Order: sequence, then C-alpha cells, then structure tokens
Amino acid sequence: MREALWAELLKVRRSRLPWITALAFTLAALVCGMCMFILADPARARALGLLGDKAQLSGASADWPSYLALLAQAGAVGGGGVYGLIAIWLFGREFSDHTATDLLALPTSRTAIVAAKFAVVAVWSLLLAVLLAGLGLLIGALLGLPSWSVPTAVVGVGRILAAAALAALTTTPLALAASMGRGYLAAVGALFGLVFCAQVIAALGYGAYFPWSVPGLFAGIAGENQDPPDLIGLLLVAATGSAGGITTVFWWNRADHTR
Amino acid sequence: MRPRTPPSDGATAEPAPTTCAAAPVIDIAHLSKRYRDVTAVDDVTLHVRAGQIYALLGLNGAGKTTLIRMLLGMIAPTAGSVRVLGADVSAGERTAWAQVGYLVEAAAAYPELTVRENLEVVRRLRRLPGTADDIIERLALAPYAERRARTLSLGNLQRLALARALLHAPGLLILDEPVNGLDPAGVAEIRALLADLAHQHGTTVFLSSHLLAEVARLATRIGILHHGRLIGEHDADQLDQHRHRHLRLTTRDDATAQAVLRAHGYHPISAAPDGLLLTDKRALSRPDQVAAVLVHGGVPPTELRLEEEDLETYFLRTIGQNTPAEQPGQVAEEGTQDA
Repeated sequence: MREALWAELLKVRRSRLPWITALAFTLAALVCGMCMFILADPARARALGLLGDKAQLSGASADWPSYLALLAQAGAVGGGGVYGLIAIWLFGREFSDHTATDLLALPTSRTAIVAAKFAVVAVWSLLLAVLLAGLGLLIGALLGLPSWSVPTAVVGVGRILAAAALAALTTTPLALAASMGRGYLAAVGALFGLVFCAQVIAALGYGAYFPWSVPGLFAGIAGENQDPPDLIGLLLVAATGSAGGITTVFWWNRADHTR
Repeated sequence: MRPRTPPSDGATAEPAPTTCAAAPVIDIAHLSKRYRDVTAVDDVTLHVRAGQIYALLGLNGAGKTTLIRMLLGMIAPTAGSVRVLGADVSAGERTAWAQVGYLVEAAAAYPELTVRENLEVVRRLRRLPGTADDIIERLALAPYAERRARTLSLGNLQRLALARALLHAPGLLILDEPVNGLDPAGVAEIRALLADLAHQHGTTVFLSSHLLAEVARLATRIGILHHGRLIGEHDADQLDQHRHRHLRLTTRDDATAQAVLRAHGYHPISAAPDGLLLTDKRALSRPDQVAAVLVHGGVPPTELRLEEEDLETYFLRTIGQNTPAEQPGQVAEEGTQDA
C-alpha cells in the first residue's frame, strides 16, 4: 500500500489538477465572500443589479453562521462535483493513458493500488475542504462579519469538513464508472446524471434518502427550516461509499482487462 | 542487470528438445477464451522452457494478445489452465510477478512524468532497492531521462516500456509486439538485447509478433497462432525443413531433359512457362550431379537455381492450409506440429 500511495502521490504532484481544484475552491470561497459583501449592504446590492437581487433571494443574512453555512453548501454541492472529477481522473487516467495494464501483474496487489487511489481522493478532498474553510475564515474576518464566536466557528468549520467528507464518500461509484468505462467519458456522464438527480430528488422532498443529495442537505442547502438528513440518510451515504469502493476493488481484481 | 534465475540448460540458444524433465517456465494447457460467439483463443496447449525465446506468431486478431493477457492474469480463461514459473495464474495470485517483466500491446507511460519518474513508479511498485540508472543506461535512455514521457518519440516510448519490463532483471519476459514503433537500428538493438538476456543471463522470453522474418532471427522456438488455435510449433533451426524448396532448371530442349532426368531416377515436373522443377532430396542436396547428368545427356542446363520459399510465403501457406475449419488434420500431415 505504501508503494502504491507513493506512486499515486507522485502522479498527483506532477499533474496540474491539484492547482486547478485549489483554484476552484478559492473561487468558491471568494464568491461566498462576495455574497456576504453584497448582503451586508442591501442598497449597494440593488445597485449591483441581478447579482444583488439573487443574493437577497437566498434569504441569507450577512453574518458568520450564514457565511459558514454557505461555505459548507458550496463545499458539499460544488465541491462534490470537484471531488467526483478527482476520483474520475485518478481512475480514468489509467485507461485513457493506457497505463492500467502496467498495474495489473506486479508484486503490489491491485487492491493496494485501488486503495491508494481512494486514499488520495480522501486526502485531496479533505485538503480542499480545509482550504475552503481557511480562506472562508480569512475572508469573513476581512469583511468584518458580525456574530463571531469560537463555538460558531467550530460548528461552521466542522460542518464544512463533514459535508465534504460526505460528498467525498459518494465519489466511489464514479471511480467504478471510470474503471468499467475504461476512461473519463462514462464516469463524467454518470457525474452529470447524479448531480441532476440529486437536484430533482431533493426538490421532490426525498433528498434525505438519496446519497448524492445528502451532503448538500446536511450543509443546509434547503434552508434553516428544513431538518438535516437523519441517521438513515448518513448511513446510506456510508453504504454507497463502501459499496462503490468494494465493487471497484472487486472489478480491478476480477474483471477481464482487455484494454 | 543480474539474472535472478539461473539458466537451467546452459542458457544457450540451442533448439529445445521435444521432451524435458524440468518444469516449464510457462505451462499452458487447453486454454480457451470465448466472448459470446467469438472464440479468441481455442484450446491452446504449449510449454516454454527456461532459457528459450519462444515467439508466438500470428496475424492481427489471431489471439496473441488475449493469450498473453491470460498468461499475466489480466483475463480469466473460459477453460484450461496457465502456470507461470510454477504458480497457477489467477487475479489474486501474485507470487510469479516479482520474476516476470512484461509489455502488453502499445507502449504507454504517464505523460506528465519524466522517463526516470516513470521508471521510479515501477521500481517502487516492484519494491526494488536502488535506482533505475542501470536500465536507463542499458536502454540508451540517458539523454531522455529527465524529459517528460509525453515528449518522447514512439521509438523511445517503446524503449521506456521495455525498460519497465526489464527493470527488475526478470527471469521471464513476456512481450507483446516488442519492436513495434522502433526503427531498424532499434529493432536490431532490441533483438541483440533479448538474445543477450536469454543466452547470457538465462532469461526466458515469450514474445508475440506478426513479423516472421524478425521472429526467425531471434526465437529458438516458434508457435503459429491462427484464429485462436495453435496450428504449429517449430524449433527455429528446423524452420528450413518445413519451407518448400525446389531446383529450377531450364535447357534448350526441356522434353529431352525431362526424359534424361527420369532415366536417372529423378522426378522432374514442368514449370510454367518453361523449364523444369525438381523436388527430389537428391537433387536439392546435389544440384551439381543434376547438371552433370544433363551435360552427359546432351542437354546442358542454361539455368540452374535452388529456390526456397520465403518466410512470409511459408507462413501464409501454413495458416492458409491449416485453418481447422478448412482442412482438419492437415497439421500432422504437413509436419508442422512436431512437438
């Protein structure tokens, strides 16, 4: 496992994707800060036109609890898509670059190689969530948002990280799709399909039981009046993550690798 | 590079006897792979001994790559068994892989990694100590060591793939079309490298190719795969015996020449548009005696030439005549199956 992890980390380090994902999360933190900036002064928000109207429509207020909740939602929904792309890249690239064959008959087991890839997805996702939270705190401080307290910050940051963990767990089926599809295309299609379904199912009121809706609902995207997903919803996310991971390992070990 | 397995039979390129006491390095028994209606590999049985260079020859789509992937545990057989270095091949069985280097189909590498980093990845995954410097030197990759793989030419990418396969000085090399993309100098270099590994280090080489002429210069034993079936196996140095040869001669009076030759026990046949062909062993081994007979018979030859079927013609004749669906049982009659 250690050797496989070293190899995966080298591939990640030499890629541009870490910088691109970090940039995406930086932009997310900036956009959330921009929303707070607009909400803090409604007159200025109206002067800004459409963006100001939309900020008002969200019903959020410009304070620390709202800001941290918005960051958690950005990390869970937008970030979830990014985590999915990371998983798709880590697995799909082996087939797109035709390097998968070189991983199949080695002293290092296929299980270790797949596990290393999942470990990288987890660590990468966590680092991005930490980046989001860290930048969020910095931007919030620069904006001088009201209602600051250490417990508020701890709860808010905790929610950002927990929502990111839930979102990262739901990426394992995408790793399977990238493996079975032997490249990026099928998995990216699956990602779009799941994001679409998550929106529709959440809108219908069943999102608490659809694993890809749960992270967003957990982050409070449905508003303060909605209850967060219960234990069943969280267990469904855990089950989905585990099933995706186990099936991916099984596929790498048992499938016919014809390409 | 040092050999990790000692040569079991002196590690020379001598032809393999048809029987041997030592366990084969590769032992394939009644191996088949079917995909619904398509039979990619059909009841193949073959053995490769230590130190051999075994070449699996076949047209594109003959089933070579499928067979190699089954050898490496990448594809599960529909029927039959594979043993490599004494270990049963399956997805969960990895004991043999520390001793096996392989290259399957097109050479590939992580494009954003340098040549050295690509080799480092393999070195780590193979849990090898040291560095990849030796193999970089050996495969003449030193000028490109710090270049990203995406900038490599096809030939250098192939060298990198071979370097990955050779990095751990394997006892068994399994190579699918190893000289694809290489220029003539590169082909000669790789041929010399593989011959050196087999002859000096006892490395067993199992390779596939569709290039008969190239294979004939390297392999000690050749298997011909066609439509998924192994239709013939030869020791390479016996390949000549299976190729058609004849003595072509022309005279100013072919009819008289034919009569003279018949009177001396030869069996000439007319060759269009003129001239005669002799396939008698006596004539092939002593064309000078044929000339002498004709001179004494008053019809001296104006042309006398020993013609030999080239390798490509032989190969195409073999797969054409021995297609199982067309002529079952022809293999033994043609003498191509001598194992």
